[in-house]
Amino acid sequence: MPVLNSLRALGLAALMAASALGWAADAPAAAASAPAPVAGLDTRVQEVKADVVRLNRDLLVLEEELLFPASTQVALFVSMDVGKLFELDSVQIKLDDKVVTSYLYTPAEVAALHRGGVQRVHMGNLKSGEHEIVAFFTGKGPHDRDYKRGTKLKFEKGSEPRYIELRIKDSTGKLQPEFDVKVWQ
Amino acid sequence: MSRAASRFPWATWACNRLGVVALACSGLAAQAAEPPLLHTVQAPHYGDTLFHFYQDHHFTALTSLMVSQHFQRLSPHADEAEILRGGLLLTYGLHHEAGDIFARLITQGAAPAVRDRAWYFLAKIRYERGNLGEAADALSRIQGPLPGQLEEERLLLSGQVSLALGDPARAAVELRALLARPPSVIEPPKTAGVAAKRSIFSRIGSWLLDAVTFSFARDPEQRFSTAPAYARFNLGVALIRSGDVAGGKALLDEIGSASMPDDELRALRDQANVALGFTALSQDDPEGAALALERVRLKGAHSNKALLGFGWAAAAQKKPERALVPWSELLQREASDPAVLEARIAVPYALAEVGAVGQALSGYQAAISAYAQESTALDESIAAIRSGKLVAGLVERNPDESMGWFRALTALPEVPHTGHLVPVLAQHEFQEAFKNYRDLLFLSGNLGDWQEKLGVYGDMLATRRAGFTERLPQVRSKAAELRVDVLQGQRDKLAAELGAAQAAADGQAFAGAAEREQFARLADVNALIAAQADPARRDPSLGEADLAQLAERARRLQGALAWQLAEQLPERRWAAEKALADTDGGLAEARVRDARLAAAQKDEPARFERFATRLAELGQRIKALQPRVASLTVEQQKALQETAVASLQIQKERLAGYTAQAQYAVAQLYDRATQRKEGERAKP
Repeated sequence: MPVLNSLRALGLAALMAASALGWAADAPAAAASAPAPVAGLDTRVQEVKADVVRLNRDLLVLEEELLFPASTQVALFVSMDVGKLFELDSVQIKLDDKVVTSYLYTPAEVAALHRGGVQRVHMGNLKSGEHEIVAFFTGKGPHDRDYKRGTKLKFEKGSEPRYIELRIKDSTGKLQPEFDVKVWQ
Repeated sequence: MSRAASRFPWATWACNRLGVVALACSGLAAQAAEPPLLHTVQAPHYGDTLFHFYQDHHFTALTSLMVSQHFQRLSPHADEAEILRGGLLLTYGLHHEAGDIFARLITQGAAPAVRDRAWYFLAKIRYERGNLGEAADALSRIQGPLPGQLEEERLLLSGQVSLALGDPARAAVELRALLARPPSVIEPPKTAGVAAKRSIFSRIGSWLLDAVTFSFARDPEQRFSTAPAYARFNLGVALIRSGDVAGGKALLDEIGSASMPDDELRALRDQANVALGFTALSQDDPEGAALALERVRLKGAHSNKALLGFGWAAAAQKKPERALVPWSELLQREASDPAVLEARIAVPYALAEVGAVGQALSGYQAAISAYAQESTALDESIAAIRSGKLVAGLVERNPDESMGWFRALTALPEVPHTGHLVPVLAQHEFQEAFKNYRDLLFLSGNLGDWQEKLGVYGDMLATRRAGFTERLPQVRSKAAELRVDVLQGQRDKLAAELGAAQAAADGQAFAGAAEREQFARLADVNALIAAQADPARRDPSLGEADLAQLAERARRLQGALAWQLAEQLPERRWAAEKALADTDGGLAEARVRDARLAAAQKDEPARFERFATRLAELGQRIKALQPRVASLTVEQQKALQETAVASLQIQKERLAGYTAQAQYAVAQLYDRATQRKEGERAKP
């Protein structure tokens, strides 16, 4: 049976090798049983990635300081607490009666808000003094009805950056969504 | 557990800390059953990082996180932010930086939960770097159970480290501890419908990446933790490798005969049966092999291997006609699959065994021809890969705007014989190299974008500087006109008058313009009455009685006016004091503006200069990085292509082996036929 033996030897050698590789490839736990040494190219690629990440941080810091100095900076955020009573479609925000942003949400963005993310929806500059923010939220409310609500707040802008969070919350008592504004700092 | 959270255990922890467990990050039924907690992000910028992170925008999440850390606006989430940054750096393969972060969290005396988490990630990093002893040391420093599914992963890592240290017995103990845990139920993400169902490619990619990072990847819609099943499988393999074949086979048999809830675990069951089958074949146990292999599904990633092995099991049982059934089925399948290639010579072997020598000869010749064709096709594929078509096509057909995590290679490029690419693309080495290549393309685009932006910012700064220089003389001139010192002198004089009037309770001092006019007119009237005493100036029409009446009226009016002013004295005094205070406020503001202007005159040019210096310095860094990225991109592409080519070369070598086997078998058949004929001729 030389053919059988040789074929079996060949077949088993090939497939047992493949199978062993398969164990390593398909089972995450087994995959790293023999950590590979780091190649030179890989190390250099990681180094350049680290350099670009640091450069991006420095560039973004410069950009913020140049475009939005701390003394005039105002940042607007949108967040959602629970959000079962409201499906957010869009938001329009006015600062001192001037529209600064009209934002239409993607499902992925709404999902990120549901999971606790807070969106920085606008960043700009304001003079010191009193200002008014007005926000309109549109979407679907309870019973799948079209829903549009507004909220507004007067706030004082000093010489420090001002962070304002527009919050969508569920009022379980009223079974209605609620919208409010929180001024940080 | 949510998709991102399951891939990123540090995120789960961060989410738990944020109290959004039941909403998004929960992986445990008990937690999911709890009423939803209000989210308690205490720093909106940290929430902004999570917003990007949850959308898989990892580069934006990482850089925005680092910017917020620079401006120190993440408190009180500083520790969570560091864990998240370390994890994101790990996904980019930046083990050194990530290791520094976790080590710093430990040495800085972070909370015990943070320290345990950091030790776990340090252990993972050390394990990936091959520092097994240090990995074991880090694992031993974890004091309490880790939250949620991370505890399963810790047990799994402990088992892996023990296996790699050559201690399968200890690994068995640790993995059995994992098996003893109740199975976790994974809460599907609230937005499961949003996430695209991942292809097998992306899942393979994720599994492979998990091996070099630190997490199981799980299908976003999957409801059960796969960790115990994988642990059982790994333990079975470990036991077989360590010599306890019976124990290992028993574990694999448990998986191989179990009912599995989803495709991923059914694939694992197939794999266990294939492993069992080939182990049995290697131990000359074809019956046992057949039992295991016939449990493998006919369609699946492991079905070809199973069909081939099942045929060998039948052949070993002297049932070549039975072996023909699975092998013939294999011939209908993808020609480049190794099992199919092997079946091409296995079928004529079985035909020869059943006495169909002519068909066997034809089969061998057909196999030799097919191998030659396949070899030519492999050459064409190698040429296409070396020409750059593979890499360019993969990038073009699988666009990605971010960097970091494996993305699904859902579309194969248009190159000849795409079937050759499937096993190539599934290779860990190829996936890693392709990820690096795509990351480098992203970095190149990122640097180009910033270069353009810096140009715009440079222009903007120049415009601001020119505007400042142009307006400066006008502003200085206006400031000179303002003369705050003169105004202050006037104010001081008024304040002194006010003080004197207050001291004298002089109501007339607070009289308005109309009242002053009335006093003036009364003075004129009194002067006129007094003039009547002079005969030369006397009005002849006025008698003494008239004069007396006029004098009395004037006196009364003057009294009424004085009484009115005295009555309104407190109110008018308060108004005067307020006006003086307002004047003080106005003067103070004028002085502040004056000082600001003086400071701006001095500081603003220096500020412009600092910005210009930073812009130039950052521009230089971009310019220095661009050629590095470009050169590494070329190098990485070549490495990627050579990885693919090497894989195809192995296939070619395998083909050469099969061809030699087929040619040998043909020669043997001819020899036998010749011997038979000679034997017949030799007969009388």
